[in-house]
Amino acid sequence: MATTAAGTAIEARALCKSFGPTKAVADVSLAVRAGSVHAVTGENGAGKSTLMKLLAGVERPDSGELLVRGERASFANPRDALVRGVSTVFQEFTLLPNLTVAENLYLGREPLARGALDARKMTADASAVLERVGLAVSPDRLASRLTIPQQQLVEIAKGVSADASVFIFDEPTATLNNAEVDTLGALIDDLRSRGKAILYISHRLEEIFRFCDTVTVLKDGRLVTTVPTATLCETDLVTLMVGRPVHDLFPPRSTIAPAVALDVRKLVPGPGRPEVSFALHAGEILGIAGLEGQGQREILRSLTGVVKPESSDIEKRDANGNATRLDPRHGPTAAVVAGIGFVPEDRKTEGLYLDLTIYDNVALGRLKALPLFSLAPRVATFVEAIAARMKLRAESIKQNVGSLSGGNQQKVMLARWFAAGVDVLAIEQPTRGVDVGAKAEIYGLLREFANEGGSVIVASSELTEIIGLCDRVLVVRGGRFVAEMRGADATEEGLLEHALDALEREPAVT
Amino acid sequence: MIATLARRSRRAVSNSRTGISAVTLGIPASLIVVLAIATPHFFLSLQNLTNLVNQMTTLLIVALGQLLVAIVAGLDLSVGSVISVTTCIVSSDLSPALSIPLAFALGAFVGLVNGYGIVGFGIHPIIMTLSTMTFLQGLAYLIRAVPGGTIPPVLTTLASGATLGVPHALVWSAIAFFAVAALLYRTRFGLHLFAVGGQPESARLGGVPARRVAISAYVLCSVLAVFAGLFVAARTASGDPAVGVSFGLDSVTAIALGGAQLSGGVGSALGALTGTLSLALVSNGLNLLDVSAFLQSALKGVLLIVAICAQRRTAVGL
Repeated sequence: MATTAAGTAIEARALCKSFGPTKAVADVSLAVRAGSVHAVTGENGAGKSTLMKLLAGVERPDSGELLVRGERASFANPRDALVRGVSTVFQEFTLLPNLTVAENLYLGREPLARGALDARKMTADASAVLERVGLAVSPDRLASRLTIPQQQLVEIAKGVSADASVFIFDEPTATLNNAEVDTLGALIDDLRSRGKAILYISHRLEEIFRFCDTVTVLKDGRLVTTVPTATLCETDLVTLMVGRPVHDLFPPRSTIAPAVALDVRKLVPGPGRPEVSFALHAGEILGIAGLEGQGQREILRSLTGVVKPESSDIEKRDANGNATRLDPRHGPTAAVVAGIGFVPEDRKTEGLYLDLTIYDNVALGRLKALPLFSLAPRVATFVEAIAARMKLRAESIKQNVGSLSGGNQQKVMLARWFAAGVDVLAIEQPTRGVDVGAKAEIYGLLREFANEGGSVIVASSELTEIIGLCDRVLVVRGGRFVAEMRGADATEEGLLEHALDALEREPAVT
Repeated sequence: MIATLARRSRRAVSNSRTGISAVTLGIPASLIVVLAIATPHFFLSLQNLTNLVNQMTTLLIVALGQLLVAIVAGLDLSVGSVISVTTCIVSSDLSPALSIPLAFALGAFVGLVNGYGIVGFGIHPIIMTLSTMTFLQGLAYLIRAVPGGTIPPVLTTLASGATLGVPHALVWSAIAFFAVAALLYRTRFGLHLFAVGGQPESARLGGVPARRVAISAYVLCSVLAVFAGLFVAARTASGDPAVGVSFGLDSVTAIALGGAQLSGGVGSALGALTGTLSLALVSNGLNLLDVSAFLQSALKGVLLIVAICAQRRTAVGL
């Protein structure tokens, strides 16, 4: 038996894993103490999710060894790992929608009575476990009827039911709102106080500092360092992750010309929603801030024709001051032809064609304005030029977009609209799932686009992003704009004050 | 009152993976009422009810097999050809001690080929089972070019007649129904079928041997089709290379009427029964009303599309 320091719940020794020629994880060792929360962080592509998969039993290491409570372990699949006491809450939950909560909890290790499925025992056991994690739903409820935080709790309950000693959380807050993150935090604290070891995989700095005792930083598949969180500040951690100091996340603002690029009047985003009016200036980055679900999504989507607004009166002006009317009810293609590009929050399902190449995804923007049956001209050099300008990190433009990191996918999304020659960009959550280094580059690209006369309208739930990036901020609550401030003057407290005020006075529009 | 009932049944449906709804149960129920009123003396006669059971049995056995495949998001068009080949094999000169095991062996092998092709090589179920269907159809004609031959008496006794007033066909139906229901609801394998149909990758991550489960579903489906073939051979007392042709699509129609979703993960043995019953009632009733067979087929098509549209088809997981 291998020797391990006392209190170590899980330990990885010199783990290596390659996919083809790429070393996803190279010689990574780490040890997680029982009763502690250990963060694993790094930029996208740093190897943190591969490392997680090795620990969780999804992938098997090429070399190196895993020790659980001091004993060597090798997992054939995640169920195997769970039986050995390693429970994983995957980012994309693995609950089966057509199975009940109880069935999901005990899948693969169903209790049997005289050879038959013991449904009664399964339900009873599940009830007890659900109570322990504080989830008040019936074990007979179908998993598809649960909210996302409830599903996450069921995943955690799986680990609790197997009496796991190690809990791995893979980007657990990616799909949670702020209140849900607080609940998760309390749950993690509870697990820690019960002596469990928790591996917390995330690139969200705030959460690492809030939840974690120790942090391991990975870069390019290699271990950079493992240090107590308390000895670091955010800047230190970013420097470790990126490998170089990042001085300015946000590019400097520029002065805005008074020319209006898009004059939105009396936009009613949907039935029963309040009317909004605003102007977007040429060269401006306009932020829409607010709590989630306050109508920012509807405003952006109805403006760009993704959903049909009830009514609108929108005028778009080009650089020479020529005005054209835009009716978003004609759909997103009409908006693109008019020069407005839309970057959706969920770029994987709504924006990109993951199975197609970078070339196809970008060239599409160029081709959008052509009639349906016209021949598609090859524009490879053009796409290559754009890709180079955007510092797209890919082997060639023939690479599939699905194999790119989040930041590079977002760049492809932007490249499509730059290729289409739009002069207004409407963006939801511009840097969701994008790591720190690529974030700065995307902010830079948006600012560059604005400096060349384009206009950007950004809806984001990250207040730091709104404040750092935007020239002007509109605060939305209950579907209405309730405050306007200059980006330079905006503070998190100031924005929140307006955003929260709404909740107290009137119910949110959802 | 009716509104409450409807709401309650809707809630029951939305909380289950059975696919059973007011429509699945309502169609056969209302057909029975309509037929009982329209042709009181014929429809409810013992003679006609026995006929109905005899007509249903083959399709029910096939549909139960089709259901297993549909739950893992598959489709098996080859069941009809398996039936035809089975009748040809057991009507040959071979002794029943040889021909019956041979039919089962062939059925299991066909299921394995279907399963491996679909799960292992990623061939689309329609293409894969269309291929085996075509192959087996040819094989059936090679064994027996024209209907005929003799069926071992042991089979004919088992399939025809009655014991203590219970028609043997009803026994076949009941055994098949309860066997599949027990498999689905009382075994781990049954739960794993639903899991694989819900999301194969998640099921695999959860420790379910997803590939083996899916392949087993195809094997069971083919084996059930062999049973159906034996029943047909015994009932018709002959081998017929074309007797099974309609069962591939009819079995899909039956389970779809019974609420199974071809996208996988939703379906029930009860649904397979009510779907089969609905189809049999339509045939039976239209026969009683003297409607031409061609028009019957057209009406079945209309019934299917109406029934499907009336059921809320919510994809699993959305």
